[in-house]
Amino acid sequence: MSETISTADSADTGPLAPAAKRKRPVGFYLAGSWLGSIVLLGLFGALLPLRQWDLASYDYLGALPGTPGHPLGTTQDGYDMLSGLINGARISIFVSFFAVLFGGGIGALIGITSAYFRGKYDLIVVSIFNIMLSIPNLVLSLALLSTLAYSSPDKPATLQRRLIILILSLTIVIIPILGRIARASALQWSSRDFVVASKSMGTRNFTIIRRHILPNVAPAILAIGFLAIGSVIIVEGSLSILGIGVPGGASWGSMLANGRGNIAFSPHEVYMPAICIALTVISSNWFGDYVRSRLDLREAKI
Amino acid sequence: MDFLQILAKRLVGLVVIVTIATFLLSLLTWLLPGDAAEVIAGGAAPQVIESIRQDLALDEGVFGYYWNWYTGLLTGDLGRYYLAGGYREVSEVVGQTLPVSLQMLIYAQIVSLTLAVPLGLVSAYKENSRFDRIVSSTLFTMVSFPSFALALIMSLVFAVQLEWVDPIGYVAPSENLLEHLKLMILPVISISVGLTSSYTRLLRNDVIQTLKEDYVTMAASKGISDRRILFRHVFRPSSTTLLTSAALNMGGLIGGTIVIETIFVIPGIGYEIFYAIGSRQLIAMQTLIALIATFYVFFNTTVDLITQVVDPRTRERRV
Repeated sequence: MSETISTADSADTGPLAPAAKRKRPVGFYLAGSWLGSIVLLGLFGALLPLRQWDLASYDYLGALPGTPGHPLGTTQDGYDMLSGLINGARISIFVSFFAVLFGGGIGALIGITSAYFRGKYDLIVVSIFNIMLSIPNLVLSLALLSTLAYSSPDKPATLQRRLIILILSLTIVIIPILGRIARASALQWSSRDFVVASKSMGTRNFTIIRRHILPNVAPAILAIGFLAIGSVIIVEGSLSILGIGVPGGASWGSMLANGRGNIAFSPHEVYMPAICIALTVISSNWFGDYVRSRLDLREAKI
Repeated sequence: MDFLQILAKRLVGLVVIVTIATFLLSLLTWLLPGDAAEVIAGGAAPQVIESIRQDLALDEGVFGYYWNWYTGLLTGDLGRYYLAGGYREVSEVVGQTLPVSLQMLIYAQIVSLTLAVPLGLVSAYKENSRFDRIVSSTLFTMVSFPSFALALIMSLVFAVQLEWVDPIGYVAPSENLLEHLKLMILPVISISVGLTSSYTRLLRNDVIQTLKEDYVTMAASKGISDRRILFRHVFRPSSTTLLTSAALNMGGLIGGTIVIETIFVIPGIGYEIFYAIGSRQLIAMQTLIALIATFYVFFNTTVDLITQVVDPRTRERRV
């Protein structure tokens, strides 16, 4: 069963759903351009002539948006909001992209081989997936992250280390979600005539999976991958609010968490990252839903 | 298969899943490179650390440690918080916090269902009208709006700027009912928005299906009013998916309340997990997470079971 972020039931009712219409809906372009600009800013934002995001300027503490030199204002600690948000885009996209890439890759590998070979291996895989899915997303990542992040009290938790641990935890959370979808999809293709024919001609299993099954399963994984990116951004934000995500205001969630205490003095510290997170999640869901409705994947769930 | 067989099978499955999941959790704790007792005690005297180690059976290997925790759980000993001032029983904490979380979830369910039923019925009745399209796209956007972002923005606007309600806190209903309800407004709305969206869409889809049934045409041809058909003839057969989903959500939401409870400082089980993590109470954390997972699996199993009893078609083994 999915979390509340499930969009599974939206297959026919989402604003992007009517696949019969040839025209792409406005939402598709809006979502696409927001995602595109976030990715571009994340990749090349460091080249822009901006302030360093983690360098405080003590002349401007909690400046409101529109202050000269700080177009989006500063935090109570004097960090520039604009460069903070751009850096946050980089981290948030980085974390969610790699978590979904690794999780989706490993999940697809396990799911496809499990559906193809069946037998005991399949039984074990399915049981493990079910066990992992029996713990809600956020709780599982919380458990993983909180124990992994404590692993060495002596070593200082650098940003890089925390990022690696975060991506690792989120990857583990994603594996059963995408793995189950890959398995369900591969199961349908594995019994198709051309696969059976290919098998009877003595084609190696690996070749069959690579040439016949993977290309057919890939679109489903891709569509759900977009939805997964949205969920990962939500989980990352939640973890930051709970104080065990990315530290020091480096991601959007982390900016939110830091800004919460200053909500009365500089509300822009809260609503700006919150809106960025919301827009990105909504965009990736719209985008994923569009891809899914084009592929007509009705049963797909995350 | 008769009912008892299904029940027995599902119960065994439930126990197996919870056992393995909790074992993996303790394995995580066990794999800490440092000494778990030292992490928990956080710089206490050596005797204290030694007594914690004894208490948790940390010397007996991972299986001994797990067995100690698991048998404790079965006999109702949920473990302890090891605080500077002494012990605090986890079972006591659960007894105090779980009702608060459940209460909040029940409010959220009531609000979401109350909104979703008329919205779903009307938008299905007026399928593809302007109303339907506006409701559908608004709800689709709202379901992907992260609840914590909504919670923070709402507490910024309604609590900090407009000062209509207090931004944080909790008052028990027995103490002051009005104050209790006022403080519950923002957290309940934060949870309800996503729920309302998904419930409305579920109901709308089912009602659209039901409206195509022959008996609806029949009823209409007999001259029964649309309103009566919608509420008397269509609503009930269309509500099964909605109710299943509502029941399933009780399990999933109890995990999802962690962030909302932390933001609004509500002393529920989610806030307690946050506290256990922050104060490095590994055992309390492990127990609380295990409880949430059990709760979740238990709800899923129960709902599954009821569906299987009610609708024999679902008993077929799904591939």
